[in-house]
Amino acid sequence: MEVDREDGRSQNQLRPLACSRNILHRAHGSASWSQGDTKVLAAVYGPKAGTKKNENPEKACIEVIWKPKTGQIGKPEKEYEMILKRTLESICILTVNPNTTTSIIVQVVNDDGALLPSAINAACMALVDAGIPMKHLAVAICCCVAKSGYVILDPTKLEEQKMKAFAYLVFPNSVRSVLPEGSLRVEGEPIENGIITSVTHGIMSVDDYFYCLERGRAASVKLSDFLRRNLQQQSTDSSKAG
Amino acid sequence: MEGRLANSWRLTVNDKNFIKTALLSEIRIDGRKPFEYRKISIKFGREDGSSEVQLGQTRVMGMVTAQLVQPYRDRPKEGILSIFTEFSPMADPSFEPGRPGELAVELGRIIDRGLRESRAVDTESLCILAGKFVWAIRIDLHILDNGGNLVDAANIAALASLLTFRRPECSLGGEDGQEVIVHPPEIREPLPLTVHHLPIAISFGFFSNESILVIDPTHNEEAVMGGRMTTTVNANGDICAIQKSGGEGVRQRVIMQCLQLATSKAASITKQIKDAVEVFNTERALRKVKRHPTSTGVDVREKQN
Repeated sequence: MEVDREDGRSQNQLRPLACSRNILHRAHGSASWSQGDTKVLAAVYGPKAGTKKNENPEKACIEVIWKPKTGQIGKPEKEYEMILKRTLESICILTVNPNTTTSIIVQVVNDDGALLPSAINAACMALVDAGIPMKHLAVAICCCVAKSGYVILDPTKLEEQKMKAFAYLVFPNSVRSVLPEGSLRVEGEPIENGIITSVTHGIMSVDDYFYCLERGRAASVKLSDFLRRNLQQQSTDSSKAG
Repeated sequence: MEGRLANSWRLTVNDKNFIKTALLSEIRIDGRKPFEYRKISIKFGREDGSSEVQLGQTRVMGMVTAQLVQPYRDRPKEGILSIFTEFSPMADPSFEPGRPGELAVELGRIIDRGLRESRAVDTESLCILAGKFVWAIRIDLHILDNGGNLVDAANIAALASLLTFRRPECSLGGEDGQEVIVHPPEIREPLPLTVHHLPIAISFGFFSNESILVIDPTHNEEAVMGGRMTTTVNANGDICAIQKSGGEGVRQRVIMQCLQLATSKAASITKQIKDAVEVFNTERALRKVKRHPTSTGVDVREKQN
């Protein structure tokens, strides 16, 4: 069904994406990610020696610090830190540098909806910029379910508040393989069909959730293409002096 | 995570000697002359009151927000101005998250003194109902990248944010005129703050050979220098604040030289800030004109950076 969104987008249309890497000088890796008006800055320092007290020293450890735009750090920020940490732990290869800590600092520059997905995308790009070894990229998207049942992607803050429920979904990036059998398979299913993280707010039916997953996965293919183009372009035209 | 030697950054003895010897022949390691400022770029975000300033490699983000609160009891007719500095761990590997260290507190205090004591921001216009409701302006400064001379960059960010911030218009209502109605920005245009003058902070570094003086030190020079002084002056030639805490002693004529230099630099920086704010205001006015969104059926659009 045709849906009227305030900024004229269609149901499955994402906002304009912009991403730039290596913008900070002291950080080992940095990236700025913006989806429409939502803008997030991420910086990576690492690997640094030693792990924190309760972490396993046989693996690398990831530490996330979330800095809100204004105000004190409270429970929502701690929750974002935890979600980011677990998501990034599952995409980084933790056995390469044991007993080290990689710190990721996320700074919210502007919040206009889909903040956590933007942060995950920015953190992933910053890790690539820092050269931290990863299994694959994490591509995050936000899907909302409205009261009348339709699903829209990448809402603005106003749209998010009006929706019945929304879900933040993180998928591995789509694979472009030269091998004839395509991507790696886990138990018969290609690896990019998996979900890394899913956080939902509000009530939605099981069918709605699966519909969101389907839409989200389709959008993640487009996002992966954008990431791939962006990474390839920047690695060819900028010469990093370290 | 304290006591982590891996986090602390130290300049090697060779680097330090190189910087000092180069300064004897008036050469700075980034190619500037001793009294030359780095390039300043001031950008604004989408919202009113959000600015991002880049001074060479130093990057600071400023954000201004306002809230209606009860005024202090000894100043019932004045609004409240508070500055919060965040030394984000992304700026420097030695910045730890959590409570602000002494550098952060000192930076906040210098900027605070420059703005508050010199009455740059008019706090009496922030009063809505004397004794009951006043606007509390909160300035958040996030240091994103430490390339040296954080005070100056943070000060410019604070000023740029204050100049572009707009507070909602409110009027008195209710049965006895004691209720405050805050009008949303769509109904009534928000108002800018009254800023009388712009106090600009200019920092100097002194080196062990006391005739060596540099303006706007980078973080390599900061690790080598023997003393620092920050003077806050405005374009009219008024001295708003001077901060020289410890470090090596300097002669009076050096201080006078610094003040004269600072006044001339302040004029050019003030002009730069005002020009940037002008551009932002024009853009903002143009944005108010509602345009029909030009979107075609492309699922993912991308901007070239």
